[in-house]
Amino acid sequence: MSGYIAKRLLLLVPVLLGVSLVVFAVMSLVPGDPALAILGPYATPERLADLRATLHLDQPWPLRWLGWLGGLLHGDMGRSVSLERPVADAVFERLGPTLLLAGAALLLGALLGLAAGLVAALRHNRATDRLVTLAVLLGISLPPFWLGLLLILLFGVWLGWLPVSGMATAWLVGTDAAPAVMWLDVLRHLLLPSLSLALVAAGVIGRIGRGAALDVLAADHIRLCRARGLSERRILLVHVLKGVLARVMPVIGLQAGFVLGGAVYIETIFQWPGLGRLLVDAIAARDLLLVQGGVLVLATAYVMVNLAADLAQHALDRRTAAA
Amino acid sequence: MSGGAQPLPGTGALAVATRRLRRHPAALAGLALLALVLLPVLAAPLLSLPDPALTDPARRMLPPLAIGHLLGTDHLGRDLLARLLWGARTSIAVGALATLTAAAVGSVLGLAAAWGGRRLDGLLMRGVDVLMAFPYLLLALAIVAALGPGLANAMLAIAVANVPFFARAVRGTVLDIRHCDYIAAARLAGHGEPRIVLREVLPNLAPTLLLLMTTTLGWMVLETAGLSFLGLGAQPPAADLGSMLGEGREFLTTYPLVAVLPGLLILLLVVSINLLGDGLRDVLDPRWSPRRSFSAPAPADARLQSQLEGGASLLAVQDLGVRFAGAAGPVPAVAGVSFRLNAGECVAVVGESGCGKTLTALSLLGLLPEGASQVGSVRLAGRELMALDGAALRDLRGRRIAYVPQEPLTALDPLFRVGVQMDETLRAHGAGPAYTAAELIRMVGLDGVPGLMRRYPHEFSGGQRQRVAIALALAHGPDLLIADEATTALDVTVQREILALLRRLCDEQARALLFVSHDLALVAELCERVLVMYAGRIVEDAPAAALLHRPAHPYSAALLGATPELGRPDKPLAVLAGEPPAPGERVDGCRFAPRCPRAQRECRAVEPALDALGEHRLVRCLFPIQEAS
Ligand code: SF4
Repeated sequence: MSGYIAKRLLLLVPVLLGVSLVVFAVMSLVPGDPALAILGPYATPERLADLRATLHLDQPWPLRWLGWLGGLLHGDMGRSVSLERPVADAVFERLGPTLLLAGAALLLGALLGLAAGLVAALRHNRATDRLVTLAVLLGISLPPFWLGLLLILLFGVWLGWLPVSGMATAWLVGTDAAPAVMWLDVLRHLLLPSLSLALVAAGVIGRIGRGAALDVLAADHIRLCRARGLSERRILLVHVLKGVLARVMPVIGLQAGFVLGGAVYIETIFQWPGLGRLLVDAIAARDLLLVQGGVLVLATAYVMVNLAADLAQHALDRRTAAA
Repeated sequence: MSGGAQPLPGTGALAVATRRLRRHPAALAGLALLALVLLPVLAAPLLSLPDPALTDPARRMLPPLAIGHLLGTDHLGRDLLARLLWGARTSIAVGALATLTAAAVGSVLGLAAAWGGRRLDGLLMRGVDVLMAFPYLLLALAIVAALGPGLANAMLAIAVANVPFFARAVRGTVLDIRHCDYIAAARLAGHGEPRIVLREVLPNLAPTLLLLMTTTLGWMVLETAGLSFLGLGAQPPAADLGSMLGEGREFLTTYPLVAVLPGLLILLLVVSINLLGDGLRDVLDPRWSPRRSFSAPAPADARLQSQLEGGASLLAVQDLGVRFAGAAGPVPAVAGVSFRLNAGECVAVVGESGCGKTLTALSLLGLLPEGASQVGSVRLAGRELMALDGAALRDLRGRRIAYVPQEPLTALDPLFRVGVQMDETLRAHGAGPAYTAAELIRMVGLDGVPGLMRRYPHEFSGGQRQRVAIALALAHGPDLLIADEATTALDVTVQREILALLRRLCDEQARALLFVSHDLALVAELCERVLVMYAGRIVEDAPAAALLHRPAHPYSAALLGATPELGRPDKPLAVLAGEPPAPGERVDGCRFAPRCPRAQRECRAVEPALDALGEHRLVRCLFPIQEAS
């Protein structure tokens, strides 16, 4: 197990290097003079020259990439033009709320999806199965930004049950309310945005989960469990559940990509103070260094979640070590 | 979502696929829905709709059914219906274009990787891996950020973000196609590589590509809408569904329709495309749709009462039948199986695969696959098992009747340590187990294997695993052990060891053994009596020695002829011509008649009964082989 973890951690290095290279390459797609694109048409010639020097635009790209990497190692992502502060500060300040949102969405999506998949498989080819299959199809096809708007309309505007913008209630911020009160408030704010992402993720996880559950239920070892006289409860909650979880884990990891990317929409709709909204603002302001930093950090988070999913799968199923 | 890399049937099979598609309800629903949505969208220029860009501040936010505006107007007084239809055209066009672009570029890369040698493959696939380590939404966003907002750039970004998916899937498919016979044939015929790719590979790739494109089109439409929603796609006054949704968001509380309708249209489009894609997948590649499944056993049919009196037998099976639910009524797979098993007796059930021997064994445990039901009577020590409910049956399983599976690598749960599975088995029944774990391990000869309980099934050799499975089966000291092809997966030496172990364990505790196998020579060594099954029926029931030397049923003789004789591998096997009838297939008279060398006209008239032949033998044959010697 520890050998496997070490191997996976080592593999992380080339993947992260690759990810940084992609971010770097995409950002060099900018047409024309990057310095001009970053600073905008009203920049003074001195500032332009200054930026060109910091970006080492006179050097060939491999050197520039290495230079950028070197800066990253020191936590230096350059300076945001629109915010007039270091990119790293702005990005990491916003990372927490995004991780909270994405994590909640992924957890909710995984729970809903797994439950749906299991129920459908247990009621295979019956009305419940068809209903779940239909719901799953709807989930997969939902535009998350539209779902977010519908939830706002329903729970925020018409029913007035839940807050629909921001991460905390204004009057609570800065007061010395008990931490429990604060967290409860954040949770209330978290519910609708995370649900908007979770339902779509649940669709994908539910679809894969149903297939996995059908496979596991049909497997020889489940029949042997019955032949050994184990109770249906134990077979379902221990043997089937673990088998399904082991198979679905990689898909849950992949869905992290969806919730982290989809956070861009949902944070915009719900005014969630996360990295996604920062990215949208940065794109609108043509703040390329900020975009570069934000995308890099989100992509890195995705790589990490996938690693965690792989390790979890390995912990569930030790046969995967060889792969 | 991961690239399914199986070659699908070639274009020649497309006609068949189309026919099957027409009978696929989900695909038809998708097609109908898509047509319903697409028809007005495509016909938009022909309908006399107001100009979608024409603003009229005096007539803003009109409710639906307003004069001249079927769905009302938006915040600038533009006709909502016209905007929806024209917006949908843009969304679909951009999504389709992105799909085509991604498919074309991805196919070229995938082909190059699969066909261009190791180094190119390695290089391209590393690149694909890195791009796939990226959330695709984020990749598309970064590209648009660099290129600048606009519909063309959004299309490009989405296409690029999806190229890795296509490249990987196409590569896998092409690699599989490469190994097909017709490629080798084309090579032998001296055709050049370009010609092979063009004439042989591409047509066979086409169905896979079509499927990939249909399943991706849905996401592409969604992603385009997403970028436009953020203001990075369509720029005003041009509009697609996503940008309409984005604009309408501002008026969500005052006039929700402006935001709700475009989203609904996106949903309808994507749902119908996905439905169609699912149907296409089912039709083109049945392997992708998990259909086969087993579930909790159906309660046994208790209506049939046994005419069999208890007697001294441990197991008495009478008129056992197994049926599968079929489209045209139940299909019998096993019929009229009757036999008895005394305490301590070893009986074998032998036959070709598909003859119903495993179904017979499973029905004794009430563990038939989903869709199968059983009739008849199974009595264990006089108690009718068919009348028991699930809980009572479970109580018997593992305690009175135990089961040793064919391949314990798959039959032991691969995700749990042997110790856990041993433990749960020992605790499975209220009354304590007959043996402790240590005793069981000694009984099957596994004492001395270090760390046994902490290991996973895959960490054992085949023989050791089978011993573990036997230990689990013996935990509660069952009266009857059912071994289903328990040695088939093992090599010959280990096979003999396991057989000897089974024999010893049954002899010592006067335990009955029902040994299911296809190997007649093997069971003859182990068992006292052999039941030969053919096409779901017992055709001969005879003492092992008698059967081995003087088979009475022509099928037993044929089976024996097809078994390699020990020490005589040079002796040619008498291979039986033909196939057994499929379950449910109509065969008049004796079911073996089509393959039987002794068949007469009478054989095709009436099915023979299982009649006594001599003192210890039952045979289902009109003209059994009489002893000549
Ligand atoms: S009944 Fe006739 S056809 Fe059937 S096995 Fe006997 S001889 Fe052959």
